[in-house]
Amino acid sequence: MGLMKILGSILIVLSSSLIGYYLGNKYSARLENLMHLEQCIKILETEIVYGAVPLPEALTNVYLKGNKKVSYIFEEIKINLLSNRDGDLYKSFDMVKSQLLEDFSLEEEDVELFLSLGRLLGNSDRADQEKNFKLILNHIKILKEEAKLERDKNEKMYKNLGILAGIAIVIILL
Amino acid sequence: MQQKEIGIYEKVLEYISLEISQVLKKIPAEFKANVEEIRLRNGLPLNIYSMNSDYFVTEDGSITKEKDKGKLVTKQDIVKTFQLISNYSVYAFEEELKNGFITLKGGHRVGIGGKVLYGKKGVETIKNISSLNIRIAREKIGVSNKLMKYIIHYPNTIHNTLLVSPPKCGKTTILRDMIRNLSNGLEDFNFKGLKVGVIDERSELAGMYNGVAQHDLGPRVDVLDGCNKKDGTMMLLRAMSPDIIVMDEIGSIEDIEAIHEILKAGVKIIATVHGSSIEDLKSRRSLNPLISDRIFTRYIILDNSKGIGTVKDIIDGNTFTSIKV
Repeated sequence: MGLMKILGSILIVLSSSLIGYYLGNKYSARLENLMHLEQCIKILETEIVYGAVPLPEALTNVYLKGNKKVSYIFEEIKINLLSNRDGDLYKSFDMVKSQLLEDFSLEEEDVELFLSLGRLLGNSDRADQEKNFKLILNHIKILKEEAKLERDKNEKMYKNLGILAGIAIVIILL
Repeated sequence: MQQKEIGIYEKVLEYISLEISQVLKKIPAEFKANVEEIRLRNGLPLNIYSMNSDYFVTEDGSITKEKDKGKLVTKQDIVKTFQLISNYSVYAFEEELKNGFITLKGGHRVGIGGKVLYGKKGVETIKNISSLNIRIAREKIGVSNKLMKYIIHYPNTIHNTLLVSPPKCGKTTILRDMIRNLSNGLEDFNFKGLKVGVIDERSELAGMYNGVAQHDLGPRVDVLDGCNKKDGTMMLLRAMSPDIIVMDEIGSIEDIEAIHEILKAGVKIIATVHGSSIEDLKSRRSLNPLISDRIFTRYIILDNSKGIGTVKDIIDGNTFTSIKV
């Protein structure tokens, strides 16, 4: 009987810590993905502003050069863009919206910023593109800082909360 | 033959926004095969130039002369089409935009109208695009064959030749095919191919796309794409040792200077000019000396009295008599 109690307690503590870990981890995942995204956008900027590489090719280059965890969405955008032949870049960006929200643990405002690229990319000259990139990269920096603050504040809390809640439940049940 | 022409037309439609291209897909086959221009104008009816005349295209894809029945082109259509034409990369076409046109794969040219913005070095870009003119390049292999015997000068060189033609009579198409014949060589005349330097100022002759000529110009051709005639002449003479230099649409004083440079170097020349007769050319101040100095020894006069590319007359530039048989 005693053994069962101990095993059960361990299970409760373990699962609640896992929940806490999962909830806390979302915050560092968001930060990490924002960083990868920033890196990808910087590569795209170089391709466009300094290389004047046509957009479909530039998107593929971002996919190849960037961190694959994130950069694959650029390839997906390109494939969509070339297959629908609709002349609407934003539509292709919008396609990956749900992926960004769900798989990358990004917040609504992060996604909106990324999608705004779809409205800006390619429709003006290089000087103008550079300005837009600067704006977006600045914005992403702010979001990154915000994500970092949130992470520092919440990640530890959720993780500790998970463990403590597990222990509390065990104590009550005992 | 017609099938091939329709194929070219349908390839061009891939560059036009869905709503408009779906309408253009439905026009009669006969028109499809002969479309020369597709014109999109903001808020105005869809317009094509085919079979020697311009027509409006209605919503259901039929052809009409009445402007009120034409399908209206929206700003959205123009924006989308422009995105497709520029491959979603306006920034990659900065230089082209300054010249007011973009060359598509296949050598087709898209002229652009809109708000022109000036910078320190002249035209900077075009914004708020209001009209697009898609000119379908139709390569007509063999159209110059019957003219070659007038141009070839035995044993293995050519006459300095000037093609004189009003707009839309096929002079660029004929010139392009001449280049092909001259660089290939002609067995019938025991004529070996010559090195041809092409100054393609308006990107129409070779239709360069990413450094690859989209039209067949034969194996001995060097192209300076988008280059003005004076600079191009010097570059070719200095570096490419051509036997013949080809240029389209001469007319300015600088072009004439370039021609004199070419003659000095002992290189032959083929050029085209807008006009309808030799008298017409003589009346133009910059061109008159060329004619009175007997620089060109062959004039080929074109019109469209019997369809595009009708050879109206061929004139010997020394005696000014017709030698057309």
